[in-house]
Amino acid sequence: MLPDILILYIVLAPGLVALTGLAHKQIGDKIVMGLTTAVVLSAGALSLIQLFAYVAGLGGHTGTEEHHASLVAATTGMEIKQHVITLMPWISVGEFQANWAIRVDTLSIVMMAVITGVSGLVHLYSWGYMSEDPHKARFFSYLSLFTFMMLMLVTADNFIQLFFGWEGVGLASYLLIGFWYQNKAPNDASIKAFVTNRVGDFGLALGIMAVFFVFRSVEFGPVLDAVRNNVAVVPVGFTEAAPVRDLMIPFLHWNLNALEVIGVLLFIGAMGKSAQFFLHVWLPDAMEGPTPVSALIHAATMVTAGVYLVCLLSPIYEYTFWAAGMITIVGAVTALYAATVGMAQNDIKRVIAYSTCSQLGYMFFVAGVGAYEAAMFHLFTHAFFKALLFLGAGSVIHGMHHEQDMRRMGGLAKFMPLTYAAMMIGTIAIIGLGIPHTQIGFAGFFSKDAILESTFAAGQSKVMFGQVAFWFGLIAAFLTSFYSWRLIYMTFHGPKTWEAHDHHDNHALEDVHGVDEAHGHAHDHTPHESPLVMLVPLGLLSLGAIFAGVYFYDAFVDSNNETFWAGAIYRAAENHVLHDRHNVPEWVLYAPLVVTIAGFLIATFTYYFNRGVGKRVADSGGPLHSLFYNKWYFDEIYQATLIKGSAMLGNLFWKADKKIIDGIGPDGVVAVTKASAGRLSKMHTGYLYHYAFVIIGAALVFGGILWLRAGGAN
Amino acid sequence: MGGFPILSAMTFLPLAGALIIMLVRAATAGSRDASSSDTEGRTALLAGLIISGATFIASLAAFGAFDASQSGYQLVEQYSWYRNISYKMGIDGLSISLILLTTFLIPICLLASWNSIHKRVTEYVVAFLVLETFIIGVFTAMDLVLFYIFFEAGLIPMFLIIGIWGGKDKIYAAFKFFLYTLIGSLLMLVAVVYMYQVAGGSDFEILEKYSFDPNVQTWLWLAFMASFAVKLPMWPVHTWLPDAHVQAPTAGSVLLAGILLKMGGYGFLRFSLPMFPDASHMFQPMMFALAVIAIVYTSLVAWRQTDMKKLIAYSSVAHMGFVTLGVFAFNEAGVQGAIFQMLSHGLISAALFLIVGVVYDRMHTREISAYGGLVHRMPVYATFFMLFTMANVGLPGTSGFIGEILTMVGGFQASTWAAFGAALGVIFSAVYMLTLYRRTVFGKITNPDLNTIKDMNRIEWICIAPLAILTILFGVAPNLIFNITEGSALRILNLMAGG
Repeated sequence: MLPDILILYIVLAPGLVALTGLAHKQIGDKIVMGLTTAVVLSAGALSLIQLFAYVAGLGGHTGTEEHHASLVAATTGMEIKQHVITLMPWISVGEFQANWAIRVDTLSIVMMAVITGVSGLVHLYSWGYMSEDPHKARFFSYLSLFTFMMLMLVTADNFIQLFFGWEGVGLASYLLIGFWYQNKAPNDASIKAFVTNRVGDFGLALGIMAVFFVFRSVEFGPVLDAVRNNVAVVPVGFTEAAPVRDLMIPFLHWNLNALEVIGVLLFIGAMGKSAQFFLHVWLPDAMEGPTPVSALIHAATMVTAGVYLVCLLSPIYEYTFWAAGMITIVGAVTALYAATVGMAQNDIKRVIAYSTCSQLGYMFFVAGVGAYEAAMFHLFTHAFFKALLFLGAGSVIHGMHHEQDMRRMGGLAKFMPLTYAAMMIGTIAIIGLGIPHTQIGFAGFFSKDAILESTFAAGQSKVMFGQVAFWFGLIAAFLTSFYSWRLIYMTFHGPKTWEAHDHHDNHALEDVHGVDEAHGHAHDHTPHESPLVMLVPLGLLSLGAIFAGVYFYDAFVDSNNETFWAGAIYRAAENHVLHDRHNVPEWVLYAPLVVTIAGFLIATFTYYFNRGVGKRVADSGGPLHSLFYNKWYFDEIYQATLIKGSAMLGNLFWKADKKIIDGIGPDGVVAVTKASAGRLSKMHTGYLYHYAFVIIGAALVFGGILWLRAGGAN
Repeated sequence: MGGFPILSAMTFLPLAGALIIMLVRAATAGSRDASSSDTEGRTALLAGLIISGATFIASLAAFGAFDASQSGYQLVEQYSWYRNISYKMGIDGLSISLILLTTFLIPICLLASWNSIHKRVTEYVVAFLVLETFIIGVFTAMDLVLFYIFFEAGLIPMFLIIGIWGGKDKIYAAFKFFLYTLIGSLLMLVAVVYMYQVAGGSDFEILEKYSFDPNVQTWLWLAFMASFAVKLPMWPVHTWLPDAHVQAPTAGSVLLAGILLKMGGYGFLRFSLPMFPDASHMFQPMMFALAVIAIVYTSLVAWRQTDMKKLIAYSSVAHMGFVTLGVFAFNEAGVQGAIFQMLSHGLISAALFLIVGVVYDRMHTREISAYGGLVHRMPVYATFFMLFTMANVGLPGTSGFIGEILTMVGGFQASTWAAFGAALGVIFSAVYMLTLYRRTVFGKITNPDLNTIKDMNRIEWICIAPLAILTILFGVAPNLIFNITEGSALRILNLMAGG
């Protein structure tokens, strides 16, 4: 681990430089951009050094054969490697104690590397992407603010600081989705994102309250220790102590297992932040934000916070049945659902957004079945290839002068060959191409196969929803391959459809997408390759998308995983999922490869060789296509029920205020008074004094009489 | 006892100042003409600023003399008055924190009126100073009769501020305000008289030690509750607040939301809990229900408003719901959270009303639909507005979060239903605040009158920036407040438990 001073720099410096944005008028945009980029890039470099040094320090790789025996034996009694830097107390009210602190353990080391690494590259990329935007300083300081909040989230040593980071990234996300605030769509999307996340935070907040109720602490250390050791606890108001895993607590109408209640409530928070089924509706709309934001916040980092939370709280989920099952099924459904919708979208960013949603589903269902390490591994590799895909899409959009509709692209490969190469790498990584039983494969191959194998193994040992999750995941892998190649073909291959549209059309669309009209290339509409400052991040992320899997496989999920995680992730003694995945039947290893190739072939057939087929399916508007294209009508249903319903309720209550409460109350009194003393209605300002004093006087006299009659003068 | 009566000095300093201003005006009345009335107004405002500034310094001195490690009343001054009624003053952590809030906000109120009040300025300043004395008196009084006098007397200047310097429906609003609060007060008066008779005195310390018969407690509790519920205000006696706010001048709204509402919460903590513990326990479910209704109901109503001030007024009712929730949780997190929520809301709602005032002074409308795109002309304003929007939705890192989470944590221990309902309100607060912000600040400028609107001027900066600093400071380091209020919070809970 790095010295404290450097850890402090990594976490706090992005927050401090974010503040320079407030003074951009005085110091100039360039200074703000330079400072934020330099600080976050250097923090990224430090975090990556920390991660690599940590992995290198684990010692040589042991052979795959020998370690299996030791893996099981070592699951218990592992010392937890953790270092906490306490900055200052935050809230101290009786037993409710929360500090501002920085917790360094394997989980936070991994997250710090992902966050600052991707963020640094996104800062750099934005120099090119945002070069024509008039509000560059604001953009960069929001990016740094986000980075800081995300770091606070992952380095928290208590639930309250986690919540600070949790809502803080929500704020940054809100500000960045609505960055082009002059337009309607980004404004709508930003509010939708914030409010949907608030629904999740509603669960998270209640979960934190339940944690304090049960454990009388909101600090991870004592809480998770108590669960690991099944300590007897005495919740507030209880008279007898009970072992925490068997504790029943009252919640609303029921008496329920404490860990189940806590687990489900906290997971609702994770569902909001990580855009899982039911609370996913904000993520696609969040694409209204500038593309670098989509890459950083809505793909690589913020949306993975929910996965991080579940892994961090692995001790709790290890001892829940329903909560873990809920994670598995919600994750599995999301993985499949989002993939179906992704197939039918035409906006290049929305396809990738649904893909993100789907990949997050993978992370959740594998965490639900107990292979948290695999979830974190996929979180890690996904950050590289998904950021790569988004930044690649951004490069396309930039090169296409802010065109996002894939139906108006095509044939771009020769105009932007480097972007094309990067997108190919990202696509091969996300579909998880690799050869089983070898070390050959892109990043996604290692993590996705670890997920599917673990889930299959869990299904075999009757973990709830394990088998469902495996099959959903497998089908989603097929769909992933299909929509990813569809994106490549529609964008980079085939005839150029963009020439068919004239100047004005594009401008109309630009307006819709909220991009400033002063685009420098307004008179030259040929697509162009992006500048170096945008291509360098693509190159570096490509390296990650290729090698992150093979390099970190041992540490994250294989032979070295016990020493690597060092207790940051907990598995119960009877949880052998990560070990059992090596014993799955041979076909499970090849099944992902087969469906991936199948998806590739179908996409190639329909969008490369017979480009008309996809369009015909879309135009014929079959019920299935309509369902997918309209995102299963979630927005419409929510609009018609939740939003309309609340608005009606609000209007109703407002009427009740006016008609019922006021009608019976003050207005009624006035009416009665008026009727009985006709002229009282002639109240003017001047008379107000008199009324005031008369009433007060009357009150005092009244009181005096009461007092005397009660014997006050005796 | 003995020594300099700093509490009395602090309490009556504004009243003395008001008298001097009136005397000076009476003395110079002959030499006035039309052109000098504006100068006279500026002079009066300046004098008011100096006096309220001095009061703030006096309250800081009182705070300096206050020992936070002691839980009881301190700096006590007592003079026999009539029979068992005495003029008795003292402070504990609860009262000194509310006093500091008061003395801090009054100068801001006066400064905020610098450019917006042009009518009867001298009387306006006098009304504010008189009101300040009454409010501080409410928090320093240690005798129930003295408390009642301050509590009721405060009605009059507030009534006048709305009734004279208010908007076009000011009479209706002032009357409604008066009617509601007066009915509550009369019921309380009956209880005060009864308590004096039975306990043999009106000294807080006597009343706190006296155990009222549980059956009687029920009635006393209800009588006090009638008054505090109106002040706080709780649903369903909240409907005076939106009207009062809409009609009151900016500074009046700041004072109303910032301080006057807190008298309700203060009353519950000072009287209902320690003096009527059995009744408080008995009514806990009802209070939780009313708190949750306030939070959810008024949040939804706030969302439907078309008038900026009304929206924020309804939001105040919702935020005071958290105070009720925390107070009646009867545990440390709840009570500390409730006190904190009062202080925090004092800063945030004050700032939000000032924020509305900034554009109202320029455009003379509070209709949300008249705005839109302000960020293009007023970036500094937009930044402050965003900060307080986030503080109002309880974003962690701002003071708004601390009060909400602690009251809910406390509430959860008493009733998961209550915490569940309150947490729902957290969703709705985001809905109405972000909608308000989006419709006023974001978007394109559609109203041509906004094309020339100017960003915040120096006076507005001076008013709002300190509130912004404190909102963040207390959000990041709330222990600054908890250290002060801990003793009295524990003492109240202790008294409640019969200790």
